[in-house]
Amino acid sequence: MQNDSLLSGTELTVTELTTLIKRTLEEGFYGLRVSGEISNFRPASSGHWFFTLKDSTSSLSAIMFKSSAWRVTFKPQEGDKVVVTGSLDVYAARGTYQLKCDTMEKSGTGDILALLEKRKREYDEMGYFAPERKKSIPIKPKRVGVVTSATGAALQDILQILSRRAPSLDILILPATVQGNTAAQTIANRIRQANLLLLCDVLIVGRGGGSLEDLLPFSEDVVIRAIYESEIPVISAVGHEIDWALSDFVADLRAPTPSAAAELVSQGILDLRQKVESLSLAIHKGMQHRLQLLEHRIPSTEAMQRSMAHLLEKREYLLANASHSMSQAYKEKLEKSSQRVLLATRELQALSPLAILARGYTLVFDSQGKALHNREEAKVGEHIKLTFIDGSRKALIEE
Amino acid sequence: MSFETDVSRIEEIAQKLNASDTSLEESLALFEEGMLLSKKLEKTLSEAKSRVEIVLGDEKESAEITPF
Repeated sequence: MQNDSLLSGTELTVTELTTLIKRTLEEGFYGLRVSGEISNFRPASSGHWFFTLKDSTSSLSAIMFKSSAWRVTFKPQEGDKVVVTGSLDVYAARGTYQLKCDTMEKSGTGDILALLEKRKREYDEMGYFAPERKKSIPIKPKRVGVVTSATGAALQDILQILSRRAPSLDILILPATVQGNTAAQTIANRIRQANLLLLCDVLIVGRGGGSLEDLLPFSEDVVIRAIYESEIPVISAVGHEIDWALSDFVADLRAPTPSAAAELVSQGILDLRQKVESLSLAIHKGMQHRLQLLEHRIPSTEAMQRSMAHLLEKREYLLANASHSMSQAYKEKLEKSSQRVLLATRELQALSPLAILARGYTLVFDSQGKALHNREEAKVGEHIKLTFIDGSRKALIEE
Repeated sequence: MSFETDVSRIEEIAQKLNASDTSLEESLALFEEGMLLSKKLEKTLSEAKSRVEIVLGDEKESAEITPF
């Protein structure tokens, strides 16, 4: 039998052959797009995914590294029909080949995405997403409405975050079905109901993560229109960070997740709380500063006591001096006075008539007691009184 | 007084307290006023008095609101 293979007859080591196969497969099979069904899905703790892709007659080992896997918007399940892109990879140590996947989406996803893109363009052209139409989210809302599933984790996340960050904020839950055929209509109804009754001043519309299909209600016409017509500002919070829905574009604000929406809504109140806190601190500091300044201006008590004592001493000294000179003056005055009294008494005694009488003179008074000084006053026949030093006698003038 | 006027009043007070031409008597009165206001605002913002309610009834126009 004629063998025209290039390698016919050439002896190769296992490694040489494997290297050839590896090169041939890896260089020849890249940029692949493969559809199949997921089987034997084994996510590793490292974050990498190992699984088998199969159809009715064949199967193919597949791997998706963590760096690509996190981008997949759904958790693959046994039997999921998917389309993956990637390249062939040969594992030389085992002599096996596998499909290394870069992206994965559910079969039909491409159609859904195309539909969404088309719808997005239409609404964009109609001006539904115009930035100038966006209403601002109130900084300090009083009541926040939440359109979501009453039983979902998204609601629990929102309630928890709001109670922690803005405990004073009222919350109104507008329960809606968030997946399935009726979902879009109930979401739209709740948005309109909130508006009709003006139940709140900001509205969060959203749900937790899910598959592309799960999030579809938030891209439906009724929901887009309800958000567009809402007078209450709307925050769209659908799925995870990487998910999106048309509600994100028409809403006044897009939050990456429901938790993030709760944070956005409460940010203003949180900021105000911090502002009030720092203001009260500033007042305290200002007052403290003021008091310190004053304290510096008040001389220390010690110094005050010293100057006070000094002042008192001086006064005491003055007082002592003054009282001494006063008593001195008083004494002098007293002595002078008593001398004068003595002198005056002597003078008085010298002038006293009694002294004259003592020397043998006699005083003469008429009957009326009037002193007689000369002969004329002493009339003949009158009674007179003679006063001696030791008493008096009555006498009659005869001639 | 609204929340916003209260906040700007506190800001004004903080400013006056730091100004050197405010007398001690005035400072004390301002300080007291500022602390009262900030306590009040703090309470308004942080007090857990929020009501969590849920709307019952699917009808757009009729709604019954009850505590959640």
